[in-house]
Amino acid sequence: MAALVRLSSVCHRGVSPLLFRSSSLIRPLAIQKKDHDCLYLISAKIHATPSNYASSGSKAASLHWTGERILSIALLGMVPAAYYIPGPAVDYSLAAALTLHGHWGLGQVLTDYVHGDFKIKMANAGLFVLSTVTFAGLCYFNYHDVGICKAVALLWSK
Amino acid sequence: MGTSAKEEMNKFWTKNTRLNRPVSPHISIYQWSVPMLLSISHRGTGVGLSSGISAFALAALVLPESYPYYLDLIHSMSFGPQFLAFSKFALAFPVAFHTFNGVRHLIWDVGKGFKIPEVYRSGYVVIALTVLASIGLAAM
Repeated sequence: MAALVRLSSVCHRGVSPLLFRSSSLIRPLAIQKKDHDCLYLISAKIHATPSNYASSGSKAASLHWTGERILSIALLGMVPAAYYIPGPAVDYSLAAALTLHGHWGLGQVLTDYVHGDFKIKMANAGLFVLSTVTFAGLCYFNYHDVGICKAVALLWSK
Repeated sequence: MGTSAKEEMNKFWTKNTRLNRPVSPHISIYQWSVPMLLSISHRGTGVGLSSGISAFALAALVLPESYPYYLDLIHSMSFGPQFLAFSKFALAFPVAFHTFNGVRHLIWDVGKGFKIPEVYRSGYVVIALTVLASIGLAAM
């Protein structure tokens, strides 16, 4: 709420009053009266909120996002690996990476379309079971059957 | 102090479903664009590929015989070579599209390519690469 008050006060009186507020953490390098820069400096002011505005939250969501991207890049690397160095190492890595990438991806789909505490819980439980069975099945295939790399090679050889 | 984003979203949905409010038309009236189509296709291919992998894993656990047995079974049904080439194309296409569009997403994630012309250009590159890769893979 305080940020909104500041917004209207700055836009009416210009940017100069901003510089003299003692709670301001950043000092804009140049003062320009154009609206475009007025808005930019306001957003810079709002984003540099002092610690009394920012509530301490967990970094779980942010780390999850980063983990998703790292996994995607790893999975990308496994494609040439499967072609040039097929074998059990790539087979099991693919099983793990594919399952987890799919699990996290479907998790985002559920988050987007499923609403209501109970439904969300049920949908995620179902997804967890599906991903577990998928991983188990892929590992079983890698161990008792020809393995993922060989399976694709055989399928393509026909 | 204040509610979290998740709490606010839940409040919105519980209140509006309780009041039985209709949802305004959105995807049924908004003009489709290439970026929109690519985005939903990325999700569609992702869900489809995931389902395929899960189905394969389930089959591996449930079916009694080995993979080469079933492969020979399909091969013995002697479908024409065009059918085989088409099946390879049909398998390769979603994998190729999801992979190339996935790279496009990763480029956005490092902050590049957000200008509207760039979004369209990278989208067309993804489509072209997908078609070429799928044809190339189907020919192998």
